[in-house]
Amino acid sequence: MKLLCIDSEPVYQEIVALCAEKLDIQVKAVSTYIDALSAFKDYEPDIVTLDVVMKGGSGIELAKQFKVMSGARFVPIVFLSSNVADSVMDKCFQSGADDFIPKPFNELLFNTRLKTHLNHLQLMQEMYEQNKKLTYFQTVIQREHEMAHHVFNHIQNRSEKDSESVAITRLSAASFNGDLALIKTRSDGTRLVFVGDFTGHGLPASIGALPVMQAFFEAVDDLANICYLSAHINKILYSILPDYMFCAGYLMLISDRGRILYWGGGMPNALIRRKNGQMDSLPSMHMPLGVLSAKEFDVDLEESVLHDGDTLVVLSDGVLELKNSEGLMLGDTNMRAIIERSYEEKSLLVAQRKAEKELIDYLGESTQLDDITLVAIRNAHLS
Amino acid sequence: MSISIDLNDTKDTATLTLVGSFDFSLFNEFRTAYTELTKTYSHYVIDMQMVEYLDSAALGMLLSMRNFVDQESSIEIKGANDFIKNILMISRFDKRFDIQ
Repeated sequence: MKLLCIDSEPVYQEIVALCAEKLDIQVKAVSTYIDALSAFKDYEPDIVTLDVVMKGGSGIELAKQFKVMSGARFVPIVFLSSNVADSVMDKCFQSGADDFIPKPFNELLFNTRLKTHLNHLQLMQEMYEQNKKLTYFQTVIQREHEMAHHVFNHIQNRSEKDSESVAITRLSAASFNGDLALIKTRSDGTRLVFVGDFTGHGLPASIGALPVMQAFFEAVDDLANICYLSAHINKILYSILPDYMFCAGYLMLISDRGRILYWGGGMPNALIRRKNGQMDSLPSMHMPLGVLSAKEFDVDLEESVLHDGDTLVVLSDGVLELKNSEGLMLGDTNMRAIIERSYEEKSLLVAQRKAEKELIDYLGESTQLDDITLVAIRNAHLS
Repeated sequence: MSISIDLNDTKDTATLTLVGSFDFSLFNEFRTAYTELTKTYSHYVIDMQMVEYLDSAALGMLLSMRNFVDQESSIEIKGANDFIKNILMISRFDKRFDIQ
C-alpha cells in the first residue's frame, strides 16, 4: 500500500508518515503542486492526502487532475486542511475528494479514517478482480452459445425447407437453449417429424443434438418406424447425457393420407387446429427422452388424423412461457387462441407469419428469455 | 433462493424446503443438500410451497436426486403450485416421484 502526502508543512508530513507506517503503508511526501503531479504519475499511490493550499497551485485543482489521471482505478483523496469554511469544504468534495479532515487533527482519529479508506480500497480491489473474472467467463459463455447456435443451425439446415405444408419458426433468445425441429419427407411420401427441447442452455444443450440428428436422418433413409426411432434416440441420450440432462420431444410420422402416429415425452400438448376452428390436443404421454433406461422405456404410440385443411402445431415450452411487459406468461389459453386465429389462413406461410407476429406483439417491449420453436404442418397431398 | 434441511430421525424423513425460483442457480446447493446427509432416509420430502417457478434444469436436478437416493426410498414433492405441478405432470414425474 502506498500513500502520497502533499503538504507544505513538514510537521504534517511527519505525522501522516508516522501514522501510515504503523499501518504498514509506505509514504512519499512532497510539498509543491508540480512535485505532486509527477509523484502521482511515477509513485502510483493507492491513497492521497493533500492540503487545499500549496506552492504552485491549488489542492482542489490537483484533486480534479488526480481523478482524471486515475481513470477506472479508485484512489481515495483525503483533504487535510486548516481552512474549514463550508464553501472550501464544498469545493473539495465537488472536485472529487473522498474525505476532509480539519487540521489540527487527532492522530487516533486520522488512523481510524485512514483504516476506513483502506477497507474501501480493498473492497474496490476485490470487486475489480471479481469483475474481471466475471467479464472473462461471460465472454467464454457467449462464445459457447454462439458455437451451439452454429451447430444447431447446421443441423437445422438439413431439415425440409418451409412450404405450404411445413413451416418452422425459431426465434432465438440471447441465451441459447436447445430447441430442435427436424422434418423430412421419406421416399414413400410419409413425413418424419422431430421437435425436441434439450435441458439447459448453451453448449451443453447442443451436445445431444448431433447424435439425434444422425439417428433421425438414418431413420428417414431406412424408413424405420418410430417405435424403433424413439427407443433408439432414448438409448443414445440415456448413455451420453449426465442424469440431470434430457430431451423433451415429439416424434411423429405423418402418412400422405394424413394419418399421424406419434410418440411424445415431456412436451406441452401438440395441437391440431381443425379446418372448422375446433382445437384438438395430441398430449405427450411419456417421460422425456434420455431419462429412462432401455428396459424401462415405453414405446407406446398415440394416433390421430390430419384432414384436409387441418393444421398440426407443435411448440416448445418457451412459447407458453413468453412473458409480456407486465411479466405475465402467455399460457395455454392465449396460445390456443393465437393458433385458432392464425391458422384460419388458407396459406400456411401467411398463417405462420401471422402467428409469429402475434407472439412478437405479445412480447412487446420485454426481452425474450428462451428460444422458442413453433412448427406447423399441413398435409400437402390432401389439398 | 435458498434451501433448508429438516431431518426427522423418528419418522426417518429428510425434508428439503426450497424458497424462490428453482433453477440452474441452485445446482450445487441442491445436490449438496441430499448428498451430504450423514445417513440415508426412507422418505424424502421436497417442500415447494414457496417456489414460484421451476425450469427444465430443475427437473434434471430432481432426476439426479432420484438416481442418487436408494431406489426403495420415496421422494415426495409437496405443495407445488399449479404451474409447477403442470410442468411435473407433462414430464410424467409422477412415475418416479410422489407428487402431492
